[in-house]
Amino acid sequence: MAEALQISPSPATRLDLMRRGGDTAGRCYQCATCSSVCSLSTPGIPFPRRQILLTQWGLADQLAADPAVWLCHQCADCTERCPRDARPGDVLQGLRSLVIQTLAFPGLVGRLVGNVRRTWPILFGVPWAFWLLLWAAGVIEVPLGDRLHAYEDFVPHGILYAVFFPVAGWVTLAAGVGGARFWKKMGEGTVRQGSFLAGAWPVLLDVLGHKSFGTCEKVTTRRWAHLALFWGFVGAAVTSGLLIYAIYLAGAEMPLPLGHPIKILGNLSAALLVVGGLLLIVSRFGVHRSLIKTSAFDMFFLSVVALVIATGVIVEVARFVLPTTAAGLLYTMHLGVVLTLFLTFPYSKFAHMLYRTLALVHQRMTATPEEER
Amino acid sequence: MERVGLMLCTGCEIGKNLDLKALGDLADEAGAVTTVSHAALCGPEGLAAVRSAMKDENLDGVVIAACSSRAKIEEFRLDGKIAVERVSLREMVAWSHPGNDEDTQMLAEDLVRMGLARAKVVKSADVLDEEIDSSVLVVGGGLAGLSAANTAAGCGREVILVEKETDLGGYLAKVRNIPPQEPPYDAPQVNPVPGLVEQLREHARVQLLTSSKVVSIKGQPGQFDVELETPEGARSLRVGAVIQATGARPYDTDRLEALGGRLDNVISSHELDGMLAAGALERPSDGAAPRRVLFVQCAGSRDPEHLAYCSSDCCLSSLNQVAAIHQLSPDVETTVIYRDMRTPGQTEHFYLAVQDHPTTFLARGEVETVASDGNGALSVRVKNSLLGEDVELAADLVVLAVGMVPESADGEGIRILTDATRKLETGDSDKQREDARKQIEEYARFEGTEILNLDYRQGPDLPVLGSSFPDSHFICFPYETQRTGIYTAGTVRAPMLPARALEDGQGAAFKALQCTAALARGETVHPRSGDTSVPEFSLQRCTQCKRCTEECPFGTLNEDEKGTPQLNALRCRHCGICMGSCPERIVNFAEYSVGGVAAMVKAIEVPEEEDEKPRILALLCENDALPALDAAAERGKKWNPWVRIIPVRCLGACNVIWIADALSGGIDGVIMIGCKSGDDYQCHYIRGSELAAYRLENVQETLDRLVLESERIKVVELAHDEWDRIPAVLDEFAETIEEIGANPYKGF
Amino acid sequence: MNETKSLPVLVIGAGIAGVSVAVESAEAGREVVLVESEPVIGGRVIRSYHYFPKMCPPTCGMELNTRRLERNPRVQLLTGTTVTAATKANGSWKVTLRREPAYVNDRCTACAKCSEVCPAEVSDSMNLGMQEVPAIRLPYPNAWPHRFVLDRMACPDGCKACVDACEYDAIDLQAQPTEEEHEVSAVVIATGWHPYPLEKLEELGGGRFPDVIANVNMERLASPWGPTGGKILRPSNGEPPQRVAFVQCAGSRDVNHLAYCSDICCLASLKQALYVKEQLPEAEVTIYYIDRRTPGRNEALLTRMTGTEGVRLVKGKVGKVEQGTGGDLMLKLEDVERGTLEEAHADLVVLATGMVPNVGEDLPFSVKVDQDGFALDDLPGGLTVAGVARRPQDVVSSVRDATGAAARAWMAGEGVR
Repeated sequence: MAEALQISPSPATRLDLMRRGGDTAGRCYQCATCSSVCSLSTPGIPFPRRQILLTQWGLADQLAADPAVWLCHQCADCTERCPRDARPGDVLQGLRSLVIQTLAFPGLVGRLVGNVRRTWPILFGVPWAFWLLLWAAGVIEVPLGDRLHAYEDFVPHGILYAVFFPVAGWVTLAAGVGGARFWKKMGEGTVRQGSFLAGAWPVLLDVLGHKSFGTCEKVTTRRWAHLALFWGFVGAAVTSGLLIYAIYLAGAEMPLPLGHPIKILGNLSAALLVVGGLLLIVSRFGVHRSLIKTSAFDMFFLSVVALVIATGVIVEVARFVLPTTAAGLLYTMHLGVVLTLFLTFPYSKFAHMLYRTLALVHQRMTATPEEER
Repeated sequence: MERVGLMLCTGCEIGKNLDLKALGDLADEAGAVTTVSHAALCGPEGLAAVRSAMKDENLDGVVIAACSSRAKIEEFRLDGKIAVERVSLREMVAWSHPGNDEDTQMLAEDLVRMGLARAKVVKSADVLDEEIDSSVLVVGGGLAGLSAANTAAGCGREVILVEKETDLGGYLAKVRNIPPQEPPYDAPQVNPVPGLVEQLREHARVQLLTSSKVVSIKGQPGQFDVELETPEGARSLRVGAVIQATGARPYDTDRLEALGGRLDNVISSHELDGMLAAGALERPSDGAAPRRVLFVQCAGSRDPEHLAYCSSDCCLSSLNQVAAIHQLSPDVETTVIYRDMRTPGQTEHFYLAVQDHPTTFLARGEVETVASDGNGALSVRVKNSLLGEDVELAADLVVLAVGMVPESADGEGIRILTDATRKLETGDSDKQREDARKQIEEYARFEGTEILNLDYRQGPDLPVLGSSFPDSHFICFPYETQRTGIYTAGTVRAPMLPARALEDGQGAAFKALQCTAALARGETVHPRSGDTSVPEFSLQRCTQCKRCTEECPFGTLNEDEKGTPQLNALRCRHCGICMGSCPERIVNFAEYSVGGVAAMVKAIEVPEEEDEKPRILALLCENDALPALDAAAERGKKWNPWVRIIPVRCLGACNVIWIADALSGGIDGVIMIGCKSGDDYQCHYIRGSELAAYRLENVQETLDRLVLESERIKVVELAHDEWDRIPAVLDEFAETIEEIGANPYKGF
Repeated sequence: MNETKSLPVLVIGAGIAGVSVAVESAEAGREVVLVESEPVIGGRVIRSYHYFPKMCPPTCGMELNTRRLERNPRVQLLTGTTVTAATKANGSWKVTLRREPAYVNDRCTACAKCSEVCPAEVSDSMNLGMQEVPAIRLPYPNAWPHRFVLDRMACPDGCKACVDACEYDAIDLQAQPTEEEHEVSAVVIATGWHPYPLEKLEELGGGRFPDVIANVNMERLASPWGPTGGKILRPSNGEPPQRVAFVQCAGSRDVNHLAYCSDICCLASLKQALYVKEQLPEAEVTIYYIDRRTPGRNEALLTRMTGTEGVRLVKGKVGKVEQGTGGDLMLKLEDVERGTLEEAHADLVVLATGMVPNVGEDLPFSVKVDQDGFALDDLPGGLTVAGVARRPQDVVSSVRDATGAAARAWMAGEGVR
């Protein structure tokens, strides 16, 4: 007799998934309507039917190694057509948070973020508390006067770097380990062709325009929302980079005048983020409420993004209108959520940036020629 | 009949296409008292003309030469007393053959002669007037039986229910819930048995006899004399009808060794029902509470090695048990491995509800083996799982969802066994004894399996079809068995869900009361329901050949010790197969007799050989072939004019003497067209075409004696909707006959 | 028993269930009024070619039932009749029946002269509108009552061609509808079902492509009195299909359409696959299913078809049907057992659509229905239900159910329960 896959179909995975919004997986009777109506599913890597099957069987490891989990953009075409109301879109969304936790390094933090339903006060509180402590300890303090001239007078750039560079480094490392784990698992038993870069390039192009997202039939607004957010964050990142350049190499005078190109870029990015965020909220909690469920995991990610944007914008205005202490307090809040964003990046929904990109590259590198479309 | 009149319709092309005067003249020659013709015989004026002729000439029989016997039935029933013979000049002549043509005219004249000839022979029958008992005996006290009793009593019948066990309820006696059959169909529903038993104990018209069984059933419907064995001793009673609701037994798990059927912790779904009813879920090996329970669907079902059929309720009863387990201990992990999840109709809602339970897992796959590690832990190997690889699962308790085997007894099998046993003693030759010995081996399994113990020549129980279900027409007439006044209900009739068995009992009870009601009116039941004429046996000429007693599809005839048939008229369905079987022609009905049809055959004028007008006799089943030919005519189809058609009740109701008469009378060929035979037979008398074919083999001898070609006789099977085919069948046969050449006996 | 003295039972609908209730009740001695809104009896079964699993024509059993009906003095059959009002009065029902105008009366001999001269054409409801027929015609061969019917609406102004052609004074174009009152002891609702509308299955090509048909249409294509005279042809071009695809659970077992399983579709498709193979041995037949539901002895048909060369059963529900290249149709699905996405091509796509109960506002009774719209028994109220009006079920179950319903109606009528 051939070797058989030894498993005990424990409901653990399904129960875990339930907490993550995938509680409908059990209703699936494997008719595969979902896979056949999904515009992203390919002959090479069909989904989401098989991923729901794996969930029912409780095969978490196979799911962690499955690129399909990430190829899904949750456009909910499947959820709308599912004859069983098993909501494949939500199930895969839940699976992604499950997989992020499985791949997380270190696991503890992964679990911490994975259980955000209960741990969110810590995730927001600790980073903010950190800044308040610095303040209390006198490491940072608001200057005299009734208005802040520049936030640097409150938190010198040196301190920002001292905090964010190591954090960024750590986050990169953690994400790198997670990514590497994923890349390895995904690669087992498959043959990849060509170099990573060769595979990555078309993926990058796709991502820049969110082409895959565009093939969704039902929930089209999400593409634009997501695109705006994406470019908003890119803009924000570039802005920060340019700032460092401007300050230390160009020796620009802080704060920059509103007309300064970097300032314009920054504000433009902020605008994109605001618009994208609002669109997303309208889509998720408005028109497509019935098609897309919002789990605690989604909620956390959304609030981090929202808070970063909101506090960012508020802070920018605050120093003109509020007394120094109040503005300073708001600024610590802003820095707090930014820190949260940094620290949870590899474990929150943010990680899909990493894993989805890797999955797309893997798909390219394993695709048969006729699938190259 | 003495005074027969010919009623000739000239409408519907008949008048245009035929020489009516000639028809009138031949009627006079043939001794018709009068001939009335009318342009619309079926219209009020036409009918008035017929009635006045009946009165003026005081006719005792009329030949309606107009449309098919299947048209204008009500109109031409006339006063309902006078003998009416229908001759189809419209469908069989005017519409299907060229007008004003010699052959067409000859056809019409023959048909009229045939009609008149038969009308002469037809006698009026007197209606049976027997004392009919309307009470019902129900054998089996399961859900179907209880429901049947409740319904029969509810409809005002006296009911005696016999159950061999000490408790009522049969299989469901020890079951708490049954799968849902009432809205919203999403949760188990309470077992109706206790309530039903309660209700019946109160019922004045119902007697419930437990720990009892049927010793014998003698007589006939309306007059069954039943001997019972009860704890209080023997009991005799008379009932009108019998309902067999003996249920089904679970398929034996010992025969499912690969699935662990013999392992401690592998139990049948029925054993699980026992545990659940007792409220204690535990592993047989050590009494521990199982954490993981795995259900194996189709255990021994849908499998040629075991039960070829699907038992229809295993999927739902497993879901039902899963739900019960969740109620009992919510954290037990339940896994169901199925080939196809069969939750038909609205039970789909229940399937979804069970799927929604977090610790339930339903997966498609086929369980290959169930093995034990020796310490009670089980590993289940599943192939064809959708994962694309074989899977091995651990479980503490495995439940085999086994199918149901009907608790029927093959009456024919038992009969063969007893006959063979007798042969073994009384056999004349070693050969005979040897064959008997072989048969005894082959049929040994029927030893002592009697249930109803009918005193019937054809065996003590209902004959069964494939898969041992005792029915006869399971699509259009699901309650029909091959024994009049005896109906089956519940899982003995067909695999079904409990809630269906309850309904099944209602229907069977209704058939039972319908049967006694019909008999009380002197009528027979399905398929000739309403018919009142029974066969007459002139026994002084009987040679005890036993063909009639063996061939009757309904076991109507018993034999005395000499082997002379004893008619039980109330068992009879009037099909005429006995009449067809009798070589001595001693069996006849008043209006359908060997002589009657023979007279028709003789009435066919056979032209000389040189006229090159062959004659073909076509005997058509009135239920399928005749309607097909009528439809063909209606749609303007034409066929060979040499063919002379006689509708018959069934091909089995055709006496071979007609063929002999035809051929010796110079008719060139005989074709018999009847219903499909075989496993999917369509014959309403079960084996009509089969019997005809088999009897024709014997006619072969006659042919050889007459030195005639065997191609001159033929049996064709044809369905009701094959009107496109039937003209071709007739034409092809005509061609064959033409090729063979004329019957040398012409003119003798 | 005072069977004959008691009031009649009213049976609504003369499909296989209604006819069975009527004949079984009448043969048991009950008076029966059987009403049918169509001009002929037979309902849905008469529109089928063959029954599964025996592959025999429904008209065979119907021939017998017709004889039983016609022979039985206790049955009053009223075709072209609907129940317009009903009131319960001390146990019994008083019902008002509306009878359609008898444009063709029972003097009709079915000689067809009228049809031959009729200038007007109408859509043939017996053939589900798949062909045009003369406004006056015999609905189907061996139709019962065996009488021509006229769609008066279709008559051109002042046309009386049929009246002139009729030699039997059987046609009255001025006939009026009539009403009659009956008092009945109990009512049996056997109003049957209608197929789930193809138009609601747009994503499966329903109503969009001529070669996407419903299973009920396939029955008509195979029937000798169907629009093609029994030839299975593509509606688009009249060519025999080389590849036939059956899409199971088309709008059934689907919370977006019919949440229940319609019980018959698997077997209907297996049966129709056999129609195809018998007529076109070379044709490739594929049946796309979720579960193969062939309970009881019907399993034999599944075994037979799985063993038939050129017949494939694939687990996987079809998600989309689109126009293929070269005039054929493209089906998008996943072969679940092989785990592969497929774009299958077919010349003819048969959607196995489910059964929707005919239990509507038009019934003048307060009928209790379940969440799927199937009617429920109300025995104290003197209402009982039979056949598919009660639940999705096949012919044998409907007949079984009808016999039980006859019993329940009897008891309801007797006031015994």
